Amino acid sequence: MQILSVLQSFADWGPFVFLRDSKYGMPTIQSFHLMGLTVFLAITVAMNLRLTGVGIRKLSLGSLASQLKPCAMGALAVLITSGILIFFVNPAKYLASYAFRIKMGLLACAVSFHFVVLAKAMRSEPGSRKRSVNFIISAISLTLWFGVGWAGRAIAFFP
Amino acid sequence: MSLLGWCQWLQHTFLATTITESSWLFPVIEGSHIMALSFSVGLIAIFDLRLLGLAFRSEPASTIMKQLAPWSLAGFAVMFVTGLLLFMTQAGKAYGNAFFRTKLTFLLLLGINAAVYQLKFYPKMMGWDLAEKTPAGARWCAGLSLVGWAVVIICGRTMAYEF
Repeated sequence: MQILSVLQSFADWGPFVFLRDSKYGMPTIQSFHLMGLTVFLAITVAMNLRLTGVGIRKLSLGSLASQLKPCAMGALAVLITSGILIFFVNPAKYLASYAFRIKMGLLACAVSFHFVVLAKAMRSEPGSRKRSVNFIISAISLTLWFGVGWAGRAIAFFP
Repeated sequence: MSLLGWCQWLQHTFLATTITESSWLFPVIEGSHIMALSFSVGLIAIFDLRLLGLAFRSEPASTIMKQLAPWSLAGFAVMFVTGLLLFMTQAGKAYGNAFFRTKLTFLLLLGINAAVYQLKFYPKMMGWDLAEKTPAGARWCAGLSLVGWAVVIICGRTMAYEF
């Protein structure tokens, strides 16, 4: 309860109140959250297609990773910033939501896996590993990230 | 029958009411519509970055296009089918909605933009395939594509707040 009251006092801060009460505040931030999702997931999909060799075989994994990294990090920054804003507009609602808790759990796993395991796999070409290892890494990466997306959608439908 | 009348009829068809009345069909279709953005719009955006010279400058533009296009098209197929189903369930309300109309207008403009690229620039692509700086027209197409898709996403998200 202590945490909630602290978060609630943040939520009563002027800019958050403005976002909550203005007609297009939330749609705008939600739109940025979706644009961030579009770019970040697309890059993750592209890297995983290449990692498994299911698609995008004519580009090297190293080239994909280095060329798309600035965009991926930019999109992740947009996702996290817009996500924090969305959360503070109604902290009580999100804290009480099972879907939100699942989303945050999956997010922690997805980010850790992304920067520890996937990032390491991106440093050497897929041919240097067993094909099954690449598939397992890919399956975990995509399951976690799309899991975050689906859990996020579930917040709206199953509060 | 007027267009509005047709929209209202569509909303009351068996398929539309089945989706509306189910507790899980609508969330699954809507979730799929959003997740497919990562394949459709997201992969197109990567190709736009190559045309704009912001990524993959040392890779042939045609390679980026051919490697991404099949996955992007598969994404658009999912977007189209799920979008059509979502529209059916809310056709009457969507008809008069300014954001929905703007979204459709931009989808049309994006279609024209893609057609211009395919007809005017794609056939001559081999001439500048390796160039870091692509023709000005191709860069315009890429920039318009990025802006257009952003507008479509913003309108799509915002219209949901008005239903």
